[in-house]
Amino acid sequence: MSFEKTLRSFILQNFLFTDDDSALSNSDSFLERGIIDSTGILELITFIEEQIGITVEDEEMVPENLDSIDNLVRFIGSKQSKDH
Amino acid sequence: MTAASSHARFASLVRYLEHTAERLPRREAVIFKQRRVSYEELWSWACSIAAYLRRQGIEPGDRVAILMENSPEYIAAYYGALMASAVAVGLNTATKSRDIVNWLNHSQARWLFADGRHAELPLIAEKIGRGLRLVTHAEPGKPLEEMERTDWAEVLQESGEKIDLSTLDDPERLASIIYTSGTTGEPKGVVLSHGNLVANIESILEYLRLKESDSIVNVLPFYYSYGNSVLHTHIAAGGCLILENSLVYPHKVMQKIVEEKATGFSGVPSTFALLMSRTKLTDYNLSAMRYMTQAGGPMPPANVQRLTEELPHIQFFVMYGQTEACARLTYLPPERLKEKLGSAGTAIPGVEIEIRDEAGNPVPVGTKGEIWARGENIMKGYWRNPEMTQEVLRDGWLKTGDLARIDEERYIYIIGRNSDMIKVGAHRISPKEVEEVIAELEAVEEVAAVGVADEMLGQVVKAVVIRKKGAQLESKAIQRHCLNNLAQYKIPKYIEFAESLPKTASGKVKRHLL
Repeated sequence: MSFEKTLRSFILQNFLFTDDDSALSNSDSFLERGIIDSTGILELITFIEEQIGITVEDEEMVPENLDSIDNLVRFIGSKQSKDH
Repeated sequence: MTAASSHARFASLVRYLEHTAERLPRREAVIFKQRRVSYEELWSWACSIAAYLRRQGIEPGDRVAILMENSPEYIAAYYGALMASAVAVGLNTATKSRDIVNWLNHSQARWLFADGRHAELPLIAEKIGRGLRLVTHAEPGKPLEEMERTDWAEVLQESGEKIDLSTLDDPERLASIIYTSGTTGEPKGVVLSHGNLVANIESILEYLRLKESDSIVNVLPFYYSYGNSVLHTHIAAGGCLILENSLVYPHKVMQKIVEEKATGFSGVPSTFALLMSRTKLTDYNLSAMRYMTQAGGPMPPANVQRLTEELPHIQFFVMYGQTEACARLTYLPPERLKEKLGSAGTAIPGVEIEIRDEAGNPVPVGTKGEIWARGENIMKGYWRNPEMTQEVLRDGWLKTGDLARIDEERYIYIIGRNSDMIKVGAHRISPKEVEEVIAELEAVEEVAAVGVADEMLGQVVKAVVIRKKGAQLESKAIQRHCLNNLAQYKIPKYIEFAESLPKTASGKVKRHLL
């Protein structure tokens, strides 16, 4: 599974409690839609670090990196390309 | 005159804003996103709102509800309502329409000032209809035809005619209702007078030594008593409120503190736990910061120790209170923090504290009992609920429901609480709020909700569910139903299915066994 699909499935299952793929679009802001709160973001980061194997630095915890599937995919992609 | 603020004690909250706006018209009152609003502007907005409400025929004591996140508009609507002799009712923006409609009906609010983009507004409009006039800041996503609506910009065009403020100078006049829970049967609205709030403001100004040079990065919602108290004390002191409405990105909050050279920061235990878990506080230049305050439940002493060791120049105030006391009852002076670690402090100026047994008699030093409190800050009662009021207000004393012991120097140590309330971060949740939503599901025979320990939030909700015989129901379906009907923090993190609930002989659920 691509990490986009992995992330989508994680958000849908854990924050929206559904399998319905249409419940979330890739550009939806987690903050604006009230999908993720202050502890939810920590769960998301733990998930990314454990499942995708990257480390999220404290200063990287900004909406530009984490506030939507699109932002996450871009952020993780850039982290992975830096590591290689 | 008070030592900290050098002003006369006023009889109305409105006088504090007036006084600050006259004294410091250009001082920044609020910083929110890219906007900086001065006291002069804030005062002018409040005057326009009051003029609008008066022209619309508002009567003294009418309720004006506010459904806005922390913003300059929230503050203007609140003070504008007070200036029009109304009672301001700040509503929890994080919750769903069922709670909001419940509170609007219970408070019999005649006006609602709302963020037009609030996701629940169309449902509220549908359920409430024309009984309520709506003023929206920001264009609604949907037309909201069911309600009579005025635009915020139109309201601000009202000339703030000179309103005779002397009619407001009555400390007994009701100022605010703060709802602390939202079950359908018994919403709990704490009624506070101007005199109540003024007494608490003056005490807090005195022990925090708040001055016009102070500025706070505020993450606490104004619709709860802690945030409400931060708001009013800063207006009274002429300080600046820098609003950050989310803790999702702790780094951003810390950056804001640095950029704005904030002198203060207030939080509940989970606020500090979140900041410390994802930021290294010593990496930030916090040299301007003078103090931090913590209330909203006991903070683990290890976290207090770590924080004060990492930031030794910052005075750390541990505090305790209740919405029923406007906010504050006790504080622990920072210079005594080390020797009294684990204590919630001693009574603030103007408040008396006693620890009493079940019969209402004071207990000896060191003995466990219930905290009773007396002072001008104690609420008038629960809105439209004399029975519930009688349960907690006795001979001028507030029976808090919190259990504690007191030492020889009258410092209290909180041990627990005499109630089933669940405390998730800054939120108080009645188990009934969760139970009545889950019980709506066809497959549910019975349900009980309890709080279980959580390292970050203090507690999270667990629901124990008994399914009807042969019925199929999974955890996710229950959580999804909760997501659609409850604020996010009320959604059970854990769901357990059981065959039966442990009960007393009289049929009451033994929650401590769940």
